[in-house]
Amino acid sequence: MLPKADSNDPTMPDHEQLLLAVARNRDSTAFRALFDHFAPRIKAYMRRLGADGSAAEELVQDVMMAVWLRADRFDPALASASTWIYTIARNRRIDRVRQERRPELQPEDLMADGGEEPTPDHQFEAAETAFRLRAVIGNLPPEQADVLRLAYYEDKVHAEISAERGIPLGTVKTRLRLALVRLRRAFGEGA
Amino acid sequence: MPAHHPAPELLLDYAAGSLRAVQSLLIAAHLAYCPDCRAQVAELEACGGVLLADLPPEPVSDSLFGTLMTRLDTTAATPPPVPPPAGTSLFPGPLRRAIGAEPEALDWVRVVPGVHLSAWGVSAGTASACLLRMAPGSRVPAHRHTDSEMLLVMKGGFSDEFGAYRVGDVASYDTGTPHHAVADADGECLCLLVQDQPLVFTGPLGWLLNRGFRF
Repeated sequence: MLPKADSNDPTMPDHEQLLLAVARNRDSTAFRALFDHFAPRIKAYMRRLGADGSAAEELVQDVMMAVWLRADRFDPALASASTWIYTIARNRRIDRVRQERRPELQPEDLMADGGEEPTPDHQFEAAETAFRLRAVIGNLPPEQADVLRLAYYEDKVHAEISAERGIPLGTVKTRLRLALVRLRRAFGEGA
Repeated sequence: MPAHHPAPELLLDYAAGSLRAVQSLLIAAHLAYCPDCRAQVAELEACGGVLLADLPPEPVSDSLFGTLMTRLDTTAATPPPVPPPAGTSLFPGPLRRAIGAEPEALDWVRVVPGVHLSAWGVSAGTASACLLRMAPGSRVPAHRHTDSEMLLVMKGGFSDEFGAYRVGDVASYDTGTPHHAVADADGECLCLLVQDQPLVFTGPLGWLLNRGFRF
Protein backbone atom coordinates (compact mmCIF):
# COMPACT_ATOMS: atom_id res chain seq x y z
CA MET A 1 0.00 0.00 0.00
CA LEU A 2 1.34 3.38 -0.95
CA PRO A 3 1.45 6.07 1.69
CA LYS A 4 -0.99 8.91 1.29
CA ALA A 5 0.37 11.66 -0.91
CA ASP A 6 -1.60 14.29 0.94
CA SER A 7 -1.17 13.62 4.63
CA ASN A 8 -3.65 16.36 5.49
CA ASP A 9 -6.57 14.49 4.00
CA PRO A 10 -6.75 10.79 4.80
CA THR A 11 -9.78 10.25 2.54
CA MET A 12 -7.87 11.44 -0.52
CA PRO A 13 -6.57 8.65 -2.78
CA ASP A 14 -2.88 9.15 -3.42
CA HIS A 15 -1.72 10.68 -6.66
CA GLU A 16 -0.30 7.44 -7.97
CA GLN A 17 -3.72 5.80 -7.72
CA LEU A 18 -5.32 8.79 -9.43
CA LEU A 19 -2.87 8.52 -12.33
CA LEU A 20 -3.55 4.80 -12.66
CA ALA A 21 -7.29 5.53 -12.72
CA VAL A 22 -6.73 8.01 -15.54
CA ALA A 23 -4.64 5.45 -17.41
CA ARG A 24 -7.04 2.53 -16.99
CA ASN A 25 -10.47 4.13 -17.02
CA ARG A 26 -9.97 7.60 -18.52
CA ASP A 27 -11.32 8.71 -15.15
CA SER A 28 -12.02 12.43 -15.47
CA THR A 29 -12.81 12.86 -11.77
CA ALA A 30 -9.37 11.51 -10.93
CA PHE A 31 -7.89 13.78 -13.59
CA ARG A 32 -9.66 16.79 -12.07
CA ALA A 33 -8.17 15.92 -8.67
CA LEU A 34 -4.70 15.67 -10.21
CA PHE A 35 -5.23 18.97 -11.98
CA ASP A 36 -6.34 20.71 -8.79
CA HIS A 37 -3.23 19.52 -7.00
CA PHE A 38 -0.57 19.82 -9.67
CA ALA A 39 -1.66 22.70 -11.94
CA PRO A 40 -0.89 25.41 -9.33
CA ARG A 41 2.48 23.78 -8.63
CA ILE A 42 3.39 23.45 -12.29
CA LYS A 43 2.45 27.10 -12.70
CA ALA A 44 4.70 28.04 -9.78
CA TYR A 45 7.53 25.99 -11.31
CA MET A 46 7.18 27.73 -14.68
CA ARG A 47 6.97 31.15 -13.05
CA ARG A 48 10.16 30.47 -11.07
CA LEU A 49 11.86 29.60 -14.31
CA GLY A 50 10.89 32.94 -15.83
CA ALA A 51 7.54 32.39 -17.60
CA ASP A 52 4.98 35.18 -17.22
CA GLY A 53 1.49 34.32 -15.96
CA SER A 54 -0.13 33.50 -19.29
CA ALA A 55 2.90 31.61 -20.66
CA ALA A 56 2.99 29.64 -17.42
CA GLU A 57 -0.69 28.69 -17.81
CA GLU A 58 -0.08 27.67 -21.43
CA LEU A 59 2.65 25.36 -20.17
CA VAL A 60 0.35 24.05 -17.42
CA GLN A 61 -2.14 23.09 -20.15
CA ASP A 62 0.59 21.40 -22.19
CA VAL A 63 1.82 19.41 -19.22
CA MET A 64 -1.63 18.34 -18.04
CA MET A 65 -2.59 17.36 -21.59
CA ALA A 66 0.47 15.14 -21.70
CA VAL A 67 -0.50 13.68 -18.31
CA TRP A 68 -3.93 12.74 -19.72
CA LEU A 69 -2.63 11.43 -23.04
CA ARG A 70 0.36 9.51 -21.68
CA ALA A 71 -0.96 8.27 -18.35
CA ASP A 72 -0.64 4.69 -19.59
CA ARG A 73 3.14 5.10 -19.55
CA PHE A 74 3.21 5.99 -15.85
CA ASP A 75 4.79 3.18 -13.82
CA PRO A 76 4.51 3.62 -10.03
CA ALA A 77 7.41 1.19 -9.53
CA LEU A 78 9.73 3.62 -11.33
CA ALA A 79 8.57 7.04 -10.20
CA SER A 80 6.11 8.79 -7.91
CA ALA A 81 3.33 10.82 -9.52
CA SER A 82 5.07 14.11 -8.76
CA THR A 83 8.38 12.83 -10.16
CA TRP A 84 6.70 11.68 -13.36
CA ILE A 85 4.85 14.97 -13.74
CA TYR A 86 8.04 16.87 -12.92
CA THR A 87 9.87 15.22 -15.83
CA ILE A 88 7.03 16.13 -18.20
CA ALA A 89 7.02 19.74 -16.95
CA ARG A 90 10.81 20.01 -17.26
CA ASN A 91 10.79 18.65 -20.81
CA ARG A 92 7.84 20.73 -22.01
CA ARG A 93 9.49 23.87 -20.68
CA ILE A 94 12.74 23.09 -22.49
CA ASP A 95 10.92 22.32 -25.74
CA ARG A 96 8.75 25.42 -25.58
CA VAL A 97 10.89 28.09 -23.94
CA ARG A 98 14.34 27.18 -25.20
CA GLN A 99 13.08 25.97 -28.55
CA GLU A 100 15.28 22.95 -28.05
CA ARG A 101 14.36 19.34 -28.28
CA ARG A 102 15.54 17.69 -25.11
CA PRO A 103 17.51 14.53 -25.90
CA GLU A 104 15.65 11.92 -23.87
CA LEU A 105 16.39 8.29 -23.24
CA GLN A 106 13.44 6.12 -24.31
CA PRO A 107 12.79 2.74 -22.71
CA GLU A 108 13.69 0.96 -25.94
CA ASP A 109 17.06 2.76 -26.15
CA LEU A 110 18.95 0.56 -23.71
CA MET A 111 21.99 -0.88 -25.45
CA ALA A 112 22.42 -4.64 -25.46
CA ASP A 113 25.91 -4.46 -23.98
CA GLY A 114 25.04 -2.00 -21.23
CA GLY A 115 21.36 -2.50 -20.67
CA GLU A 116 21.33 -4.65 -17.58
CA GLU A 117 18.21 -4.19 -15.58
CA PRO A 118 18.64 -2.16 -12.41
CA THR A 119 19.68 -4.29 -9.48
CA PRO A 120 17.10 -4.68 -6.69
CA ASP A 121 18.98 -1.96 -4.78
CA HIS A 122 17.82 0.53 -7.38
CA GLN A 123 14.20 -0.50 -7.31
CA PHE A 124 12.57 1.71 -4.77
CA GLU A 125 9.10 2.32 -3.57
CA ALA A 126 8.77 5.69 -5.21
CA ALA A 127 6.31 7.38 -2.89
CA GLU A 128 8.07 6.23 0.26
CA THR A 129 11.37 7.39 -1.14
CA ALA A 130 9.86 10.79 -1.89
CA PHE A 131 8.94 11.00 1.77
CA ARG A 132 12.53 10.31 2.87
CA LEU A 133 13.90 12.57 0.16
CA ARG A 134 11.79 15.45 1.41
CA ALA A 135 13.32 15.07 4.85
CA VAL A 136 16.85 15.01 3.41
CA ILE A 137 16.25 18.12 1.30
CA GLY A 138 14.72 19.90 4.27
CA ASN A 139 17.79 19.17 6.37
CA LEU A 140 20.46 20.13 3.83
CA PRO A 141 22.88 22.82 5.01
CA PRO A 142 21.73 26.15 3.52
CA GLU A 143 24.64 26.46 1.09
CA GLN A 144 23.93 22.99 -0.33
CA ALA A 145 20.18 23.60 -0.56
CA ASP A 146 20.93 26.87 -2.35
CA VAL A 147 22.95 25.31 -5.19
CA LEU A 148 20.35 22.57 -5.55
CA ARG A 149 17.48 25.02 -5.84
CA LEU A 150 19.39 27.15 -8.34
CA ALA A 151 19.88 24.08 -10.53
CA TYR A 152 16.23 23.01 -10.45
CA TYR A 153 14.42 26.33 -10.26
CA GLU A 154 16.60 28.85 -12.04
CA ASP A 155 17.89 26.95 -15.03
CA LYS A 156 21.48 27.40 -13.93
CA VAL A 157 24.19 24.88 -14.75
CA HIS A 158 26.83 24.63 -12.05
CA ALA A 159 29.24 26.91 -13.93
CA GLU A 160 26.57 29.64 -14.00
CA ILE A 161 25.85 29.16 -10.30
CA SER A 162 29.53 29.79 -9.69
CA ALA A 163 29.46 33.04 -11.67
CA GLU A 164 26.18 34.25 -10.19
CA ARG A 165 27.03 33.53 -6.58
CA GLY A 166 30.63 34.66 -6.96
CA ILE A 167 31.93 31.40 -5.50
CA PRO A 168 34.64 29.30 -7.13
CA LEU A 169 33.51 26.54 -9.46
CA GLY A 170 35.30 23.96 -7.31
CA THR A 171 33.27 25.08 -4.30
CA VAL A 172 30.00 24.78 -6.24
CA LYS A 173 30.97 21.28 -7.33
CA THR A 174 31.90 20.32 -3.78
CA ARG A 175 28.57 21.60 -2.43
CA LEU A 176 26.62 19.81 -5.15
CA ARG A 177 28.50 16.57 -4.58
CA LEU A 178 27.95 16.76 -0.82
CA ALA A 179 24.25 17.39 -1.44
CA LEU A 180 24.15 14.44 -3.84
CA VAL A 181 25.74 12.13 -1.26
CA ARG A 182 23.04 13.10 1.23
CA LEU A 183 20.29 12.66 -1.36
CA ARG A 184 21.55 9.19 -2.22
CA ARG A 185 21.17 8.20 1.42
CA ALA A 186 17.43 8.69 1.00
CA PHE A 187 17.61 5.82 -1.49
CA GLY A 188 19.49 3.62 0.93
CA GLU A 189 22.83 4.15 -0.78
CA GLY A 190 26.03 6.08 -0.27
CA ALA A 191 25.71 6.04 3.52
CA MET B 1 28.90 -1.80 -17.67
CA PRO B 2 30.82 1.45 -18.28
CA ALA B 3 33.76 2.21 -15.99
CA HIS B 4 34.04 5.95 -16.71
CA HIS B 5 31.06 8.17 -16.05
CA PRO B 6 30.11 11.82 -16.53
CA ALA B 7 30.76 14.09 -13.53
CA PRO B 8 27.91 13.78 -10.99
CA GLU B 9 27.07 17.47 -11.29
CA LEU B 10 26.41 16.97 -15.02
CA LEU B 11 23.86 14.28 -14.15
CA LEU B 12 22.30 16.80 -11.78
CA ASP B 13 22.20 19.51 -14.46
CA TYR B 14 20.66 16.97 -16.84
CA ALA B 15 17.99 15.86 -14.36
CA ALA B 16 17.27 19.46 -13.34
CA GLY B 17 16.84 20.46 -16.98
CA SER B 18 19.47 23.20 -16.91
CA LEU B 19 22.02 21.33 -19.04
CA ARG B 20 22.00 22.56 -22.62
CA ALA B 21 21.04 20.41 -25.58
CA VAL B 22 24.54 19.50 -26.84
CA GLN B 23 25.80 18.22 -23.50
CA SER B 24 22.41 16.62 -22.78
CA LEU B 25 22.81 14.59 -25.95
CA LEU B 26 26.00 13.01 -24.64
CA ILE B 27 24.50 12.33 -21.21
CA ALA B 28 21.34 10.77 -22.68
CA ALA B 29 23.49 8.63 -24.99
CA HIS B 30 25.65 7.48 -22.06
CA LEU B 31 22.50 6.53 -20.11
CA ALA B 32 21.64 4.04 -22.83
CA TYR B 33 24.76 2.09 -21.77
CA CYS B 34 24.87 2.74 -18.04
CA PRO B 35 22.41 1.33 -15.48
CA ASP B 36 24.24 3.13 -12.63
CA CYS B 37 23.83 6.58 -14.14
CA ARG B 38 20.24 5.79 -15.10
CA ALA B 39 19.56 5.03 -11.45
CA GLN B 40 21.26 8.27 -10.38
CA VAL B 41 19.25 10.33 -12.84
CA ALA B 42 16.06 8.64 -11.62
CA GLU B 43 16.99 9.65 -8.08
CA LEU B 44 17.69 13.24 -9.10
CA GLU B 45 14.38 13.35 -10.95
CA ALA B 46 12.70 12.13 -7.75
CA CYS B 47 14.38 15.09 -6.09
CA GLY B 48 12.83 17.32 -8.78
CA GLY B 49 9.47 15.71 -8.03
CA VAL B 50 9.77 16.57 -4.35
CA LEU B 51 10.83 20.13 -5.12
CA LEU B 52 7.85 20.48 -7.49
CA ALA B 53 5.41 19.08 -4.95
CA ASP B 54 6.73 21.45 -2.28
CA LEU B 55 6.51 24.67 -4.30
CA PRO B 56 4.00 27.16 -2.90
CA PRO B 57 1.04 26.71 -5.29
CA GLU B 58 0.08 29.61 -7.55
CA PRO B 59 -3.66 29.69 -8.29
CA VAL B 60 -4.55 29.12 -11.94
CA SER B 61 -7.40 30.82 -13.80
CA ASP B 62 -10.83 29.39 -13.09
CA SER B 63 -11.34 28.71 -16.78
CA LEU B 64 -8.12 26.75 -17.24
CA PHE B 65 -9.51 23.30 -16.54
CA GLY B 66 -12.44 23.85 -18.92
CA THR B 67 -10.14 25.12 -21.66
CA LEU B 68 -7.94 22.10 -21.17
CA MET B 69 -10.83 19.64 -21.40
CA THR B 70 -12.05 21.33 -24.58
CA ARG B 71 -8.59 20.95 -26.08
CA LEU B 72 -8.46 17.33 -25.02
CA ASP B 73 -11.83 16.63 -26.65
CA THR B 74 -10.49 17.86 -29.96
CA THR B 75 -7.14 16.10 -29.65
CA ALA B 76 -6.89 12.59 -30.94
CA ALA B 77 -4.87 10.35 -28.69
CA THR B 78 -1.41 10.03 -30.17
CA PRO B 79 -0.45 6.43 -30.75
CA PRO B 80 2.66 5.45 -28.83
CA PRO B 81 5.77 5.72 -30.99
CA VAL B 82 6.73 2.50 -32.70
CA PRO B 83 10.11 1.46 -31.31
CA PRO B 84 12.65 0.75 -34.02
CA PRO B 85 13.91 -2.82 -34.18
CA ALA B 86 16.49 -3.26 -31.45
CA GLY B 87 20.12 -3.86 -32.23
CA THR B 88 20.08 -2.46 -35.73
CA SER B 89 21.96 0.75 -34.97
CA LEU B 90 25.46 1.43 -33.75
CA PHE B 91 24.20 4.66 -32.23
CA PRO B 92 22.33 4.85 -28.93
CA GLY B 93 18.74 6.02 -29.41
CA PRO B 94 19.08 9.70 -28.44
CA LEU B 95 21.98 10.13 -30.87
CA ARG B 96 20.31 8.09 -33.60
CA ARG B 97 17.32 10.41 -33.44
CA ALA B 98 19.57 13.48 -33.51
CA ILE B 99 21.60 12.31 -36.52
CA GLY B 100 19.01 10.38 -38.45
CA ALA B 101 21.62 8.25 -40.25
CA GLU B 102 24.11 5.47 -39.59
CA PRO B 103 27.90 6.07 -39.57
CA GLU B 104 28.42 4.62 -43.05
CA ALA B 105 25.92 7.09 -44.50
CA LEU B 106 27.73 10.13 -43.07
CA ASP B 107 30.39 12.32 -44.65
CA TRP B 108 33.75 12.45 -42.88
CA VAL B 109 36.54 15.01 -42.85
CA ARG B 110 40.10 13.78 -42.39
CA VAL B 111 42.05 15.53 -39.62
CA VAL B 112 45.25 13.49 -39.83
CA PRO B 113 45.71 10.03 -41.38
CA GLY B 114 43.39 7.61 -39.62
CA VAL B 115 41.47 10.28 -37.72
CA HIS B 116 38.21 11.66 -39.08
CA LEU B 117 35.50 13.99 -37.86
CA SER B 118 31.93 13.76 -39.09
CA ALA B 119 30.56 16.50 -41.27
CA TRP B 120 27.45 16.05 -39.13
CA GLY B 121 27.50 18.23 -36.08
CA VAL B 122 25.30 20.26 -33.78
CA SER B 123 26.13 23.37 -31.87
CA ALA B 124 24.42 25.67 -29.42
CA GLY B 125 26.09 28.64 -27.82
CA THR B 126 29.76 27.82 -27.31
CA ALA B 127 29.19 24.05 -27.26
CA SER B 128 29.34 21.74 -30.23
CA ALA B 129 29.16 18.03 -30.91
CA CYS B 130 30.32 15.83 -33.76
CA LEU B 131 31.59 12.29 -34.22
CA LEU B 132 35.24 11.25 -34.03
CA ARG B 133 36.41 8.15 -35.88
CA MET B 134 39.86 6.66 -35.31
CA ALA B 135 41.41 3.85 -37.33
CA PRO B 136 42.99 1.00 -35.29
CA GLY B 137 46.06 2.26 -33.46
CA SER B 138 45.80 5.81 -34.78
CA ARG B 139 46.71 8.85 -32.70
CA VAL B 140 44.84 12.09 -32.28
CA PRO B 141 47.37 14.96 -32.46
CA ALA B 142 48.28 16.32 -29.03
CA HIS B 143 46.06 19.22 -28.21
CA ARG B 144 45.08 21.28 -25.25
CA HIS B 145 41.67 22.68 -24.59
CA THR B 146 40.53 26.20 -24.08
CA ASP B 147 37.45 24.68 -22.53
CA SER B 148 36.09 21.31 -21.52
CA GLU B 149 35.76 18.25 -23.73
CA MET B 150 33.88 14.99 -23.36
CA LEU B 151 34.08 11.82 -25.45
CA LEU B 152 31.57 8.97 -25.38
CA VAL B 153 32.89 5.73 -26.85
CA MET B 154 30.32 3.94 -29.04
CA LYS B 155 32.56 1.41 -30.79
CA GLY B 156 36.05 0.07 -30.06
CA GLY B 157 38.15 1.90 -27.50
CA PHE B 158 41.03 4.29 -26.91
CA SER B 159 43.58 5.10 -24.24
CA ASP B 160 45.37 8.21 -23.06
CA GLU B 161 47.45 9.19 -20.05
CA PHE B 162 44.29 9.21 -17.90
CA GLY B 163 42.90 5.78 -18.66
CA ALA B 164 41.47 3.26 -21.09
CA TYR B 165 37.99 3.84 -22.45
CA ARG B 166 35.59 1.26 -23.84
CA VAL B 167 32.07 1.27 -25.24
CA GLY B 168 29.76 3.35 -23.06
CA ASP B 169 32.59 5.12 -21.22
CA VAL B 170 32.77 8.90 -20.98
CA ALA B 171 36.19 10.58 -20.96
CA SER B 172 36.16 14.13 -19.57
CA TYR B 173 38.90 16.71 -19.98
CA ASP B 174 39.02 20.02 -18.22
CA THR B 175 40.18 23.27 -19.67
CA GLY B 176 43.89 23.28 -20.42
CA THR B 177 44.44 19.53 -20.01
CA PRO B 178 46.72 18.13 -22.71
CA HIS B 179 46.08 14.53 -23.65
CA HIS B 180 47.23 12.04 -26.27
CA ALA B 181 44.50 9.65 -27.34
CA VAL B 182 45.48 6.43 -29.11
CA ALA B 183 42.84 4.15 -30.58
CA ASP B 184 42.96 0.49 -29.59
CA ALA B 185 44.88 -1.62 -32.08
CA ASP B 186 42.17 -4.24 -32.56
CA GLY B 187 39.51 -2.18 -34.30
CA GLU B 188 38.10 1.14 -35.31
CA CYS B 189 37.02 3.51 -32.54
CA LEU B 190 33.93 5.69 -32.89
CA CYS B 191 33.13 8.41 -30.37
CA LEU B 192 30.70 11.24 -29.80
CA LEU B 193 32.79 14.35 -29.17
CA VAL B 194 31.37 17.30 -27.23
CA GLN B 195 33.37 20.47 -26.78
CA ASP B 196 32.66 23.78 -25.23
CA GLN B 197 35.23 25.85 -27.15
CA PRO B 198 37.50 25.41 -30.18
CA LEU B 199 40.63 23.34 -29.57
CA VAL B 200 44.19 24.64 -29.73
CA PHE B 201 46.64 22.08 -31.11
CA THR B 202 50.06 22.07 -29.48
CA GLY B 203 52.04 19.56 -31.56
CA PRO B 204 54.37 20.27 -34.50
CA LEU B 205 51.45 20.36 -36.91
CA GLY B 206 49.32 22.28 -34.50
CA TRP B 207 49.56 25.66 -36.21
CA LEU B 208 48.35 24.09 -39.43
CA LEU B 209 45.47 22.27 -37.80
CA ASN B 210 44.45 25.36 -35.94
CA ARG B 211 44.19 27.22 -39.21
CA GLY B 212 42.30 24.55 -41.05
CA PHE B 213 40.01 23.20 -38.41
CA ARG B 214 37.74 24.80 -35.95
CA PHE B 215 36.01 21.79 -34.55
